[in-house]
Amino acid sequence: MDGSVRLDEVVMRFGDFTAIEKTSLAIGSGEFFSFLGPSGCGKTTLLNIVSGFLTPSEGQVFIGDEPMAGVPVNRRPTAMIFQNLALFPLMTVYENIEFGLEVRGVDKRKRREVSERLLALVALEGSGPKRVTELSGGQKQRVAIARALAVEPRVLLLDEPLSALDLKLRQHMRTELKAIQRKTGITFIYITHDQGEALNMSDRVAVMSAGRIQQVADPMTLYREPATGFVASFVGENNRLQARVTDSEGERVRLDAGALGELAGRAGRETRLTNGQAAALFLRPEHLRPVAADAAGPRLEAEIEAVHFEGAWMMLETRLVASGEKLRVQLGHEVSRGHAGAFAIGQRMTFGFDPADAVVLPDDGSPMVDEETGEVVDGDRTKAGGTHV
Amino acid sequence: MSSQRFLAFGLRFYVVIFFAYLFLPLIIMAAATFNDSRFPTVTPWDGTTLRWFGELAADRGMWQALGNSLIVAAGVLVVAVPIGIATALFLNTVTSRAKPFLYALILSPLLTPGVIIGISTLIFWRQFGVSGGIFLTVLGQATFIAAYVMLMVTARLQRFDRTMERAALDLGASQWQMFRRILLPYLKPALYSAAVIAFLQSFENYNTTLFVVGYDTTLTVYIASKVRTGLTPAVNALGLTLILITVLFAVVYELKRRREAAQLVKGV
Amino acid sequence: MFRQLQARFGGPLAMAIVTLLGIWLIVMVTLPQLQMIEYSLKPNLLPAQIGGPDDRFTLANYATLFDNDIHRTIFFKTIWSSVLVTLLTLAVSYPLAWYLAKVATPRQAALCILLLIVPFWINEILRTYSWFIILAFRGPLNEVLMMLGLIERPIRFLSGNGGVMVGMVYAYILFMVFPVYNAIESLDDNQVRAARDLGAGTVRTHRRIVIPHAKPGIATGCIMTFMLAAGSYAVPALLGSPGSRWFTQIIYNWFFEGGNWNQGAAYAFLLLVLCIGFMSLVMKVFKVGLGDIGR
Repeated sequence: MDGSVRLDEVVMRFGDFTAIEKTSLAIGSGEFFSFLGPSGCGKTTLLNIVSGFLTPSEGQVFIGDEPMAGVPVNRRPTAMIFQNLALFPLMTVYENIEFGLEVRGVDKRKRREVSERLLALVALEGSGPKRVTELSGGQKQRVAIARALAVEPRVLLLDEPLSALDLKLRQHMRTELKAIQRKTGITFIYITHDQGEALNMSDRVAVMSAGRIQQVADPMTLYREPATGFVASFVGENNRLQARVTDSEGERVRLDAGALGELAGRAGRETRLTNGQAAALFLRPEHLRPVAADAAGPRLEAEIEAVHFEGAWMMLETRLVASGEKLRVQLGHEVSRGHAGAFAIGQRMTFGFDPADAVVLPDDGSPMVDEETGEVVDGDRTKAGGTHV
Repeated sequence: MSSQRFLAFGLRFYVVIFFAYLFLPLIIMAAATFNDSRFPTVTPWDGTTLRWFGELAADRGMWQALGNSLIVAAGVLVVAVPIGIATALFLNTVTSRAKPFLYALILSPLLTPGVIIGISTLIFWRQFGVSGGIFLTVLGQATFIAAYVMLMVTARLQRFDRTMERAALDLGASQWQMFRRILLPYLKPALYSAAVIAFLQSFENYNTTLFVVGYDTTLTVYIASKVRTGLTPAVNALGLTLILITVLFAVVYELKRRREAAQLVKGV
Repeated sequence: MFRQLQARFGGPLAMAIVTLLGIWLIVMVTLPQLQMIEYSLKPNLLPAQIGGPDDRFTLANYATLFDNDIHRTIFFKTIWSSVLVTLLTLAVSYPLAWYLAKVATPRQAALCILLLIVPFWINEILRTYSWFIILAFRGPLNEVLMMLGLIERPIRFLSGNGGVMVGMVYAYILFMVFPVYNAIESLDDNQVRAARDLGAGTVRTHRRIVIPHAKPGIATGCIMTFMLAAGSYAVPALLGSPGSRWFTQIIYNWFFEGGNWNQGAAYAFLLLVLCIGFMSLVMKVFKVGLGDIGR
């Protein structure tokens, strides 16, 4: 059962608007693959193209090497879990799960066997005769999974299925989804704007923005080696400092950051930098640490504006003295313990970092992304950068 | 402040008067049934009797008219309900610049006086040699009753979550299976309501029926002719019987509808 | 349009939908109306004359209305009385709609609505007939009035327009109460409270806040009531006398007593034009569209 999915130069246009720029991508059979991006980035459109609800304007979709052109939704070897689950409210749990088999003409005894087996898989034994309206949010979620699995899809498409659940349940369902995927060996294509979900569950993640895939990589690489400024600021938290390349030699890059003076960093993987080029230095808050004012290596002097103590770690909101830019600093337990009583608002501190942790990427003018909502926040940049993101 | 209170009291008093105005005529008509008088009245009271019910039961014309009414109503259901559903599905699906025009056309039978629907139906079918009778009565009534059905189906269809359709197709259902197993069951309560309303509209229709009924008689036409000609309290007996049946019907229907609405609220 | 239907329901079902809709709108709604108009423009001919030299379009049937004093009077009386019925119904319904929407508790409102609906499940003829009994010369209304000493001898309620209008208000009240009620109900309570707080009295609150908000409902109610009143046959036939005839009765006579369908068609079309005219006028005055009427 080959559940590989291949997009071959797929383009999707709605009138004048291009929702998906030319995209090619191969997803392996049995892979847990996520599309991560802010709302409106085109990820749902891509999912609808794979499922067959939309026909791409250009290009082809292959599932298990079979071209899907002309294959309608109800003939594709895919099954979808909808954002609102779309369980059939007038049917029992049994009827919901067996619906796909019923319309295929599978006889009743066989259907019941399948649904019992799936109810066991999703830990809902004995709930078959219930109406779906009697179930809790998490139980509905499981029924939706069982219903999709009942038709033995080669590819399961999940459209932000956890977004309606509360936080605790959401985290629990992550583990369960991953376990179900491992048990069934079906290809999962997962759509989300929640990077936690994507990084947590996926084998690989495609980060999308404005109809284009920015980077495809495993979660760790995505975090450590962002390929574009968008990925660097969308995945995990990042401070971004504007600078100009003065000297690049292999990985090591020297930068002139204007008022901040000279800084050093590491060129992003597969990034070519030339001297004099505008660049952005990405510093993760957890890679900054307090240093003596005259310590060796790159230093940043900042004034503390707010302190958020979180127990295991603390987050400082600071402002760079030289440039007035914001800088977020996360200090681990072992660091903050040595500075008891310090970190008062208004206090000036010097922070240092290891240039190997600071990724330098060409300044593509990519938009800043709000951590909480995943929305693009910097309007001007979006406009200026929109053309070549 | 006291003027406010006076107004509030006035409003309540008005509501009581209003409902008295609504029910008194029906009560008087019902009461007249039991008056042992040759004319349908409550004044003077000539003694209490049940004989008008017997007289009614013996009236063969009435039974004949009742039978016709039931046949017409059944015919209207068969014609108007499918048309109403189809129209609602059409309006729910299609987006087009012609839609406002079509919508006006679809609503027009509701805004046209019933007599005109009857007249135009009668005239139109004359060229095919069809004259007034049960067939034309069915067509004439269905013309506007279909629009009522459409409104009721549309009201429910607008609350339908179309992701259900997508889910059904995604699970392998054909479009027909989706319609049969998902959409139609969802519409079922509205279809029952629409059928009840359509039946009643047909059963009590007079203005349209009058022009297309020809030499046949429906119960409403029969009652009207009785009122104008041989008036006896037997008409009241018939009225009372119909009132009791309809009230029973109405209360059951209303309660059922409310229970469903309550369940809907609970379910969501 | 068909493509959208086909995409959603598949070919056969889309076909069925379009066929049913087509039959209804073309064969049942449009063509009969057009045929009626064509009829109204032709003279009343014997079968042998059809297709002959006399079979041509003429406005003669419409001219009849203006030549015939009685018919013309009845036509205008029908308009005037229907307007009056509409206004009366609105006046009677508005306080009740207000009570149901904003004053009554939800339980009271639910009960009242049930009570409102029940009588209207009952045949229009029977409801009208009950007024026939009440208003009769020797009926209970006259008896009560005489008992109270308000009148000395019974009044002939059933010989003028009064009886007809009372019967019509009664018959069509629900078509006014419900649209107005629905419209008032959607008004935010806080708006009324704010108006009161700002010192507006009852009349001003209604005139400035409630009525403007309820306009679509009032317009719908007025259109429906006028249409039903002007097009009513049952009520004037039962509660009227030969002296208080309604325009619909004249139309009926052309068809089934005069035997002149062409003349009847012309009158029927005039009635239709009258209703459309009234509807357009109301929609213009109240600035509402057709979309608001679909309840």
